[in-house]
Amino acid sequence: MTKKADLTAPVLSTVFMGLGQIIVLKQYIKGILFFLFELVVLLNTNTIIKAIKGLITLGDPKPHLPVAERDNSTFMMLDGLIAVVVIIIIVIVYIYNITDARKTGKLYLKTGNIQSEREFLSEMGEKAFAYFALSPAFVMLAFFVVIPLIFAILIAFTNYSAPSHIPQNNVVDWVGFETFRDMLKLKQFSQGFARTALWTVVWAFFGTVTCYFGGMFLALALLDKKIKLAGIFRTIFILPYAVPGMISLFIWAILLNGQFGPINRALRELGIMQWLQSIGILKKDIIPWLSDPVLAKIMLIFVNLWLGFPYFMLMITGIMTSMRQDIFEAARIDGASKSQQFRYITFPMLMYQTMPLFIMSFSYNMNNFGGVYFLTNGNPPDTVTTQSFAGTTDTLITWMYKLTLEQRLYNKASVVAIIMFLVVAPFALYNFAQTRSFKDGEL
Amino acid sequence: MKKVMTAIRYTFIYLLLIILSFMVLYPLAFAVSGAFNQGKSLASMNILPIPNNPTTENFTRLFTKTNYLNWYKNSLIIALCNTFLTTVVVLITAYVFSRFRFRLKKPALMSFLILQMFPSTIGMIAIYVILNRLGLSDNFWGLILVYTAGNIPYNTWLLKGYFDTIPRSIDEAAKVDGASNLATFFRIILPNTLPMVAFLAVTSFTQPWMDFILPRFILRSDKNKTLAVGLFEMINGRSNDNFTQFAAGALLISVPFVILFVINQKYLVKIMSAGAVKE
Repeated sequence: MTKKADLTAPVLSTVFMGLGQIIVLKQYIKGILFFLFELVVLLNTNTIIKAIKGLITLGDPKPHLPVAERDNSTFMMLDGLIAVVVIIIIVIVYIYNITDARKTGKLYLKTGNIQSEREFLSEMGEKAFAYFALSPAFVMLAFFVVIPLIFAILIAFTNYSAPSHIPQNNVVDWVGFETFRDMLKLKQFSQGFARTALWTVVWAFFGTVTCYFGGMFLALALLDKKIKLAGIFRTIFILPYAVPGMISLFIWAILLNGQFGPINRALRELGIMQWLQSIGILKKDIIPWLSDPVLAKIMLIFVNLWLGFPYFMLMITGIMTSMRQDIFEAARIDGASKSQQFRYITFPMLMYQTMPLFIMSFSYNMNNFGGVYFLTNGNPPDTVTTQSFAGTTDTLITWMYKLTLEQRLYNKASVVAIIMFLVVAPFALYNFAQTRSFKDGEL
Repeated sequence: MKKVMTAIRYTFIYLLLIILSFMVLYPLAFAVSGAFNQGKSLASMNILPIPNNPTTENFTRLFTKTNYLNWYKNSLIIALCNTFLTTVVVLITAYVFSRFRFRLKKPALMSFLILQMFPSTIGMIAIYVILNRLGLSDNFWGLILVYTAGNIPYNTWLLKGYFDTIPRSIDEAAKVDGASNLATFFRIILPNTLPMVAFLAVTSFTQPWMDFILPRFILRSDKNKTLAVGLFEMINGRSNDNFTQFAAGALLISVPFVILFVINQKYLVKIMSAGAVKE
């Protein structure tokens, strides 16, 4: 029976999991575990098939039934997605069961030894601790990070949207690339999309660059030993970072309020507003800080600078204080001036060291919801592409939020999400390639 | 000549620092004065940050006429649970990744690195459906689970890196002496990485206070509102009518944060430069 163990064992295990291990290799515990696994799978076949069917059809309209008993397409999609994950796991275990039988069989023919039950158990115990300890993290990641990402991509290929395709009143159907085509064909959407995407990149770029150099300037100025009271200044400059961002953004929205905001009121008191009116720059005695498309964009970047510079100031202070001082010493001895030291030593070194954080901040700003939404709400509205629901200062993420929560056009929101995903991915991958563990190959 | 130039330069820098300090302080001072201002509207405020007839009526109104205390309580519960769950799960996960060898370790770590880069907002529609399916919509636990899951990838990397710096020989010696996995973790790893663990706990505590999109999506009922959502609804579109009340509410959240940050600024500087490329 065991003469051709490397052949009979895997074949038997292919027929039914664990058979090869039990009959040929006499590894009873391992074999029974595999056997039970297949048994459990077989007992649940119906559920799995039903879930996969649901994923394909997404339910049938049953208008004669009460709403609560109709097919719920989104739930069916979710169940189907989970079933696909389960099937992948089953296939992996099944293949493992065959290759394990083959390997053990070969080893037996070569050496005449088979791992004893005790050895197997102790090996299991060691590994089981690791897997057991990791399971909460993996289950949570699967349900709340990975599956949502896949789900969001899938929704883009359905007609899941208000008013006529919202479960449980109605069912959702697969529509292929129709949503993508719609968004390209409808002028309102394609133009709104192009405008929003462009502004998102501009906003992320200026948002990051201004904060980076603003923070760098202050860090360097306050590290200068001749500046007195640097500690007090630094504490003041940390405040925008300490106060929760949403609150600062609302305060700024109030300061920049056209009618009652203290900034416009101060300009009126000082007579500057009247002067601007008299030379014809302003029509009314209001500077439209947040209601003029161009000025609103400038203000968004300015307020973002107000909120964001402390982060880079603190970071660059930290890097500068831990930088090796002997290079500067050498440069001084060689007669380099302060500006030369900055240009040829400090700046290149800072740029090199902060590159990953700079890129990270760029992708953070692309997805910075509050920085736009709490200050302008995406307003002022765009007069040409009102149908796209994107205001002039909306970025992709606030637009997606509006499409989802206010308009309930989930499929269109998902298309935007996919595009965001594609825009962020290159930066993410670049950063990934830059990480030390990736370069050293150690992980 | 050179001396004059230097003097001019420093005068210029001081001038700039003073102007910038004013720009940083004015908005905050204006909000603080709003909190103590008599009258509800923005129009009733002075331009200079000095309250008119200083009063605490905004705070009283906040506590009696709005659900502010309930929002505060909700946010506090969520923040505490998030801190606990995130710290425990991340500690265990990072420990296993740092100290054990097992199949799929490398691919798992790689996928953590990639997952960490996508904001959870991309999958928010799906998260809503999933929580509905699990019966966790409009439930604190739903929100806490989503926060914790989102915190796992990045923080696991951060903590694993720290655990790796503790020599393996120490815990191997402990194991030879008969200490279990758990005992080595609590007696050797944890005491040596306490500052980092504290940092993780603080960031996961501060995270939920001002997060907006997820609680807005998940917690639909009035009694479950968090501070961020409550304050948003108080001020959004009605900034002129409700300003002083909003300022009072904002002050009560900001003060603890400001104290925390100002006291720990030296520590912050260190932590933040940790992400830079080393020389």
